[in-house]
Parts: sequence; structure tokens; C-alpha cells
Amino acid sequence: MAIEEKDVRRRKSSGLAIGQGLIKGLGVTLKHMLRPAVTQQYPEEKPDLPPRTRGVIALKEANCTVCWKCSRECPDWCIYIEAHKETHDPAGGGRARSVKVLDRFAIDYALCMYCGICVEVCPFDALFWSPEFEYATFDIVEMTHEKEKLEEWTYTVPPPPPLEQGAQEGAGG
Amino acid sequence: MDTEERATFSTVAEHWMVRGGGIDVEVASPGAFRTEEMILNIGPQHPSTHGVLRIVLELDGERIVRAEPVIGYMHRAAEKLSEFRDARQVLVLMNRHDWLSAFNNELGWVIAVERSAGIEVPERAQWIRTMMAEWNRILNHLMFTGSFPLELGAMTPMFYAFREREMIQHLMESATGARMHHSYARVGGLKDDLPRGFLKESAEVLKWVRKKLKDFEDLIMGNEIIFARTKGVGVLPPQTAIAYGCSGPVLQGSGVPMDPRKDEPYEKYAEVDFDVPVGMTGDCYDRLWVLVQRMWESCKIIEQCMEKLPASEYIAPKLPKTLNLQGEIYVRTENPLGLMGYYLVGDGKRYPYRMKMRTASFSNVSVIPAMLPGTLVPDLIAILGSIFFVVGDIDR
Repeated sequence: MAIEEKDVRRRKSSGLAIGQGLIKGLGVTLKHMLRPAVTQQYPEEKPDLPPRTRGVIALKEANCTVCWKCSRECPDWCIYIEAHKETHDPAGGGRARSVKVLDRFAIDYALCMYCGICVEVCPFDALFWSPEFEYATFDIVEMTHEKEKLEEWTYTVPPPPPLEQGAQEGAGG
Repeated sequence: MDTEERATFSTVAEHWMVRGGGIDVEVASPGAFRTEEMILNIGPQHPSTHGVLRIVLELDGERIVRAEPVIGYMHRAAEKLSEFRDARQVLVLMNRHDWLSAFNNELGWVIAVERSAGIEVPERAQWIRTMMAEWNRILNHLMFTGSFPLELGAMTPMFYAFREREMIQHLMESATGARMHHSYARVGGLKDDLPRGFLKESAEVLKWVRKKLKDFEDLIMGNEIIFARTKGVGVLPPQTAIAYGCSGPVLQGSGVPMDPRKDEPYEKYAEVDFDVPVGMTGDCYDRLWVLVQRMWESCKIIEQCMEKLPASEYIAPKLPKTLNLQGEIYVRTENPLGLMGYYLVGDGKRYPYRMKMRTASFSNVSVIPAMLPGTLVPDLIAILGSIFFVVGDIDR
């Protein structure tokens, strides 16, 4: 299907007199000169980030069942999980249950591409996005954060925003 | 080429590195007074190249005799990497090859995967995708309309463009969660629905952007200094542009109306009304003009998308657990910089058997050897700036 001629807009000559364009341009700069500056003075003035901002991944350790789903689905494999199995005898007797106990959960933020696949695949809501972003370091090895630090970040997670009109709650897979 | 070999070169004519393309320009007839050409490297780190593009120039005084772009400094093997990842994980890589048009890239990719795996997308998701793609187009074009005058020496438009970019980035962040690498499209729909207040903020930003586009046109598009630097400079005839596979603003600037959004509409582009702006002569000014006009058209599309947004799911209710990519598929979409093609071969597995990207910048940059000979070095910056490329998009 070719583009019809009615959908094509061709450039025409502007028809401005010489010097007119320059004066118009100077008028624009003059107008902007009298306006207040829009610069945010960052370290003093914190940015206003929306609740969906993907700043850092936080881990609620109590929710994690060590299913390794996040580390398997991660496109660049930056999540390190170590765990061991423990057998728990139920208090009231009965069959002993084996539980996986999380030893290490670390995310290498130097590798992380902030895609959010881990947060989406987590079946037990253990991972969250937090808008926290001020964790730059001078050394790349310090970018690997262990579960204690990830747990701290859960306290900065904002509630999810309400949806726009026309959105169907609970839709999707 | 090793250093030992380099030292043996006596004349530039033997310099094989710059061979293989380009048009020879006869600068002096045989027997007449002849000057010797000089090889000059522009880049890899030059501010006008938006990354690490290197151009080897053969100069006769200030005239360019031969120009050869040397690419590959930013090759990240996105095509190969995607053969070892689930098609849904590949989205992250697709975000990054052209970092200025992340959403348009991922849109093309998810369309390819959906067509390959036979997945239907809900109406609402398609409308939101169309809207987001156009917001991203404005983001990208603002960057280039800001940086092109900057390369010519006008600093003001860059600051103005970045103010609008900041607003649009904040708007997109409120929905997608990221300012650059959105990762918002998903196979079968979107990651999440729009947050409340998005449409209201979107309308406000749109109003502001339109006002500022008008300002930008007053500031730059009628400026005599810009005329002097861009009009009649780097004229690209339509035949050459087509022969080299140019697309996007470069091709449209040469007066060829080609736009996949019109040719074979994807998503909801068939249901929105917009024009394809084309230039008159194919010079640098025309390419800049096309870029600005495309932003006006994007504003029109966004407005229509906001009006027509229906109520439905944002992602297909039934999605297969593992994708089954079948057969060969080629999807072409209109990226801000031009034609973006994904050639996807699947063999019934969840990761692509082979994936080939046809990126706009690669073809647009390949026209440099045909365009530069005969021009002057100061014009080189104007021409390079008006080709509008991202080096990550060239090398992938």
C-alpha cells in the first residue's frame, strides 16, 4: 500500500523577509530570559519520582520460598541465591517437613539491567521495586548488595498507584 | 592493521583502509598542478558523532575527496545474545541498541514475537502502545532537533529541547517506571495499565510541547544563520537515498514519502490521521524540517490516541507459559530514526533460532561515502548532524 498524496505534506518556501527570522528568534530568547529557571538543584532538592520508578529491587525475605525463579529468568543472571534444606518436626507430631532456608540473596546492580522481570515472575511477592536510587559506589564490587541491604529497601517501597479510567482491575496474566 | 604495515605507506592512494565505497572526485586533471591528499580521522570520540563513529576523510585542502565511516566500536552482539534468551528476556536487549527510541524498538520486537507465536493483543494495549511510541518519537526528535543546532554552534535549542524532554520523560516514567529503557511492552500487551492521572498529565505536556515547538520553529527554522549553514548543504538526491536504503527523516527529507506506519500499518496507525512530511531539495535544512514536522504529526497522533482509548484489558488474558516461535517472520516498523526491521526465525522453541535486525542508523550512515565527497570540512559537521543516527543503532 503506497502512501496517498493527500497524506503527504511537502515543504514550501517560508516567504520570510531577510532578517525577519533572526529577530523572531531573538524575541524567543528574550521571552525565555525573563522566565524563572527550570533547573532542579539536585542534591539539595530531591526529585519527585513516580511510585512506579524502577530505582532498586527490594527483597522481603520472609516471603521468599527459594524457588530460584527470579535468578533463572534474569536476562543477565545477576541474582545470586544460596540455600540449604532443613527438616522441621511439626510441634503436634506427624510427618517431618523439609523447608528451604535462604542463606544468601544478592543482586549485582553493576550487572542488573533494571528490566523488572524478576519482580514480575516472583510468585510469592518477595521482590519489589523501590524508587530509591542513591546507592552509587566508588568500587564496582560494592554494587553487589546482600539480602540485609535489600530488606532495608523494602521500607521505601511506595504503594502501587491507582489505575487510569477504563483500566480493568485484575485483568491480565 | 598493525603498526609495522602502517609505516610503509607512502601515498594515501594505497591506504586500503579507506577503500571500498565512496565516490571518487577528480580534483585535478592529469598533468595539471596537483596537491597531495591528507588523511584525517574524525572520531571515534567526536561530539558530533553521538557515540563512537569514526570517519576517515581524505582531504584536498578543505575539500573532502573521500569519506569512509568505520563502524563497530560499539558492537554488543545483541543479535547473538538474543539467540540464548527467552523471547521475553530479549526485550531488554532490544531496548538498548537505540537508546533514544527504546519504546519503539521494544514495540517492533514484541510485534514480531506475537506474530510468530500467534498471540492476540487487546485493543487498549494497542492504543497505549501507539501513544507511547509517539511520545518516544517526540523524545528522540527533541534530542536531535536540540543537538543539530548545537553542532552548528547554536547552544540555546539544546537547553530548550531538554526541558521538554524532561517533562516527557517524567510522564513516561510515571507509566513505565523508567526514563530511558522503558521495558513497558510485553508479549501480548503491556506490563501494566496507565496510572491514574496519566491522560490528564499527558494532555498538559502535549499542550506545552506544542507551544514550545512553535517557539522552536521561531527560534531556528527561520534563522538566517541556520539557512546559511544548512540550505544547499549535503544535498541527497532521492535516487541515492533509495539506493543506499535510507529511511526515516533522511529519506523523507529527500522528498520520498515512505513510512511503514502508512505503508503497512501496525498497531493502531491505520485508525489515526496523520501526514507524512517530505522535504523539497534533500539538503540538511530539509532533514531538520522533516524532523520538526514529524513531531507535530506525533502530537496529532497522541491526541487521537487519548481520545479513542477504549476500556479493556492491558494484556491478553490467556498467554502461553512457554512461547512457541514458529517459522520466519519479518516485521518492519517506523522507528524515530527510520525503518526498523526484525527478521525472526523460530524453530518451535521459546528462544529465537536466529534474529536479524535491520536498523535505520546503519543504512542512513552508509550513505556518508556518497554524500560527503566534494563538500567542505565545516559542512561535514552539519551533514553528520543532519543524518540523525545513534551509534548503538549502527553497531547493535
